[in-house]
Amino acid sequence: MSRALAGIRVVDLTIETWGGIGAALLGDFGAEVIRVDALGPSPAVGPEDERAPGTWNAHAALAQRNKRSLAVDLASTAGRELVQALVGKADVVITDRARADLLRLGLDHAALCARKPDLIYARGSGFGPQGPDADLPAIDELAAARTGMMPILPQPGRPPVFPGHGQMYTAVMLAFGILAALHHRAKTGEGQEVDASLLGGNMYGASLDLQAYLAIGGERMLRPISRLDAGNPMSGTMYMSADGPWVTLTMPDTDRWWPVFAPLVELAVDDPRFDTHDKRCGANRLEMMQVLEAAFRRAPAAHWRAMFQEHQLSADIIESYDFPAADPQVYRNRYFVEIDDPSFGPRTSLGFPIFMSGTPARLDGAAPARGQHGAAILHDLLGLSEDAITALRDAGTIAG
Amino acid sequence: MASALEGLRVIDLTVWFQGPVAAQHLADFGAEVIKVERPKGGDQGRGVRSIKALPVGDWNQYFLVINRNKKSMALDLKTEAGREIMYRLVERSDVFLSNLGAENLEAWRLTWEKLSAINPKLIYATTTGYGPYATTVKPSFDMTVQALTGLMSRLGEPGEPPIYLGMGSGDAYGGLLAALAILVALWHRNTTGAGQRVDASLYGAQLFLAAPTLQAWLATRDPRYAAQQSRAAARNPLWNTYRAEDQWLMLCVPNRDDAFAALAGSLDPADAGVGGDARFATAAARREHARELVAALDAAIARRTAGEWMARWTPLADRHVAASPVATLADLARDAGAWANDYLMETHCEEVNRSVTVRGMPVGLSRTPGTIRGLGPELGQDTEMILFEMLGYDWDEIGALKAKGAIP
Repeated sequence: MSRALAGIRVVDLTIETWGGIGAALLGDFGAEVIRVDALGPSPAVGPEDERAPGTWNAHAALAQRNKRSLAVDLASTAGRELVQALVGKADVVITDRARADLLRLGLDHAALCARKPDLIYARGSGFGPQGPDADLPAIDELAAARTGMMPILPQPGRPPVFPGHGQMYTAVMLAFGILAALHHRAKTGEGQEVDASLLGGNMYGASLDLQAYLAIGGERMLRPISRLDAGNPMSGTMYMSADGPWVTLTMPDTDRWWPVFAPLVELAVDDPRFDTHDKRCGANRLEMMQVLEAAFRRAPAAHWRAMFQEHQLSADIIESYDFPAADPQVYRNRYFVEIDDPSFGPRTSLGFPIFMSGTPARLDGAAPARGQHGAAILHDLLGLSEDAITALRDAGTIAG
Repeated sequence: MASALEGLRVIDLTVWFQGPVAAQHLADFGAEVIKVERPKGGDQGRGVRSIKALPVGDWNQYFLVINRNKKSMALDLKTEAGREIMYRLVERSDVFLSNLGAENLEAWRLTWEKLSAINPKLIYATTTGYGPYATTVKPSFDMTVQALTGLMSRLGEPGEPPIYLGMGSGDAYGGLLAALAILVALWHRNTTGAGQRVDASLYGAQLFLAAPTLQAWLATRDPRYAAQQSRAAARNPLWNTYRAEDQWLMLCVPNRDDAFAALAGSLDPADAGVGGDARFATAAARREHARELVAALDAAIARRTAGEWMARWTPLADRHVAASPVATLADLARDAGAWANDYLMETHCEEVNRSVTVRGMPVGLSRTPGTIRGLGPELGQDTEMILFEMLGYDWDEIGALKAKGAIP
């Protein structure tokens, strides 16, 4: 089975999970990803790891899969020199470290470009390389707080909500930018810098709300809107069922669905209050929402699920994580995969969100132990002898 | 200025959001994107008239932004002649992208088998609801699929309704993953000559989007990753939302003694006891007494405005104290960093003949930056030129195609 990105070599200098995922997306399709694990305390700025000691590191399993690890002391000149030499043999560098750190370590764009003039140098940051906040820490919560969505996610009067997913847009953007830059390099021989940020990621995730505000303005989009004050009672709405779970409807073109939907909620199709799209979404929308609120409270979630299924409505129950975990489609599509961890045995992990018929993503290797492949990398890529590698290990320049 | 994806031709047979935004990323970086639309009405996204019960205003930002940098060709794929044009287009293109239902593609004979027979090097990309091996066949929209993932029911305070991440949040992610998949497949094709089929789905995208908590839940099945958690009992009270006198703040301080000391030292004299309180003396103690510590910080932080706190905390950055006011969309629209990095851009809108603010480029490429060369096209505006210049039809043939109803 051929690999789509075979032959591309990536040096991974990331420290945060989302940055690691950006590199893993390339490794999943066959790029050779060499992860540089710095010895000493991690300079990561994200929230601390909350795992119980001695338990499986699920986030590393996702972010570091399909990578080889070189553990190196970046505080030493010899260690930095090793990484720079590796970059000389690579196509791509990806990092999410602070600019000041990279400069201090001689791993900034200018220094590494001197080693490899056609290098693609991708950096993820908190707020982008330009502007007054370019050196703020890369913390997803800070970026989300700046994006304008936190106050309007909850119901009126409730505290702002940190959703936690913004960083995942950023991870994919880094990978996308790297691929675009590789295409350009293939045509012209030119490398370049790629940048993506948590602010850009969170903003992109808020695309439609943000763009609507930019175009429409006004006050309505700056404050939470009650769920019973939607523009269309049948689209983007949620109602509680009799036994607790919520239902959600997305039927923007209400004319199409009304004849089927109305009887399910015990409304006459020709009810004069709701018999046109304009009445449903205009003058009588608030009344209709109250009517639907009462209707959905009259039957349990299982009843609604069966109804939606039977009539193929664009509507569903709002589930918890145990729903996808029990859904065979999720495994069949490899969105979740069963992996056999060398230390912890069988585990379920997030898999691959992209399907490719000819060159599918593969799990070639579990997340490496720190420094697991150091000797092999130094020997294969830099031609170091066994004695030289032993000397580096004895000097504490590399570990593992 | 060179473009990264110059020379790529993409057929964009998509509607609404997830599909169009995938092609938008390619168009932004220089691919030639031909949006193929039905002659009557075109992409349904053209019909959006209101957002959150507000009229959209005098330009349809919903359609125009995600279809920027594209050409539009009106084609009736229900006609044999219309399909013949499509086949000729497929012969001359690198990518076919669609988010129409499989039954449509089947009926119009636009399946992978058919199109790859015409052009073996073609990348045949789809964005779907539930993925290539789905058993669910009903229509899919962003929020109904997000509902299934479990993302929504874990957000907000306990007892509150579930929370949707924002209009089109999952569509946006599926679109981005599809764009990545297309570039990966093109890389492979450029090295081997082989085309293939790629897909990104709402379901798969949104499960991946949930990774920060879903991956931890898969490992532990600990309900705190899957269920609503109150800010009043934050596991690390120093990494939490707090309400200042005038607005909310997001405080991000690691649960370490030195960082806690710096934060406690920034409080008013009336709250000086927080730093010396035995209940908060160690990381473990702060976790154990989280409710009391949140309550103490609630009282302390409510005394002053967000501006006063930011003035006190900004100098403490090197002691691991980080914070931000919780901004509104209005604040973001004025955010200097968002403008400086081209996350927001100004561009001319022909529909209203003035400059408008749009979502810009979420990815920066130093040598080949993305550009906005024009907002979404008028329906069918490029039909005749594409037929004549690219596909080699002469004007008589074009007249005959109109007579057959293949083009308007």
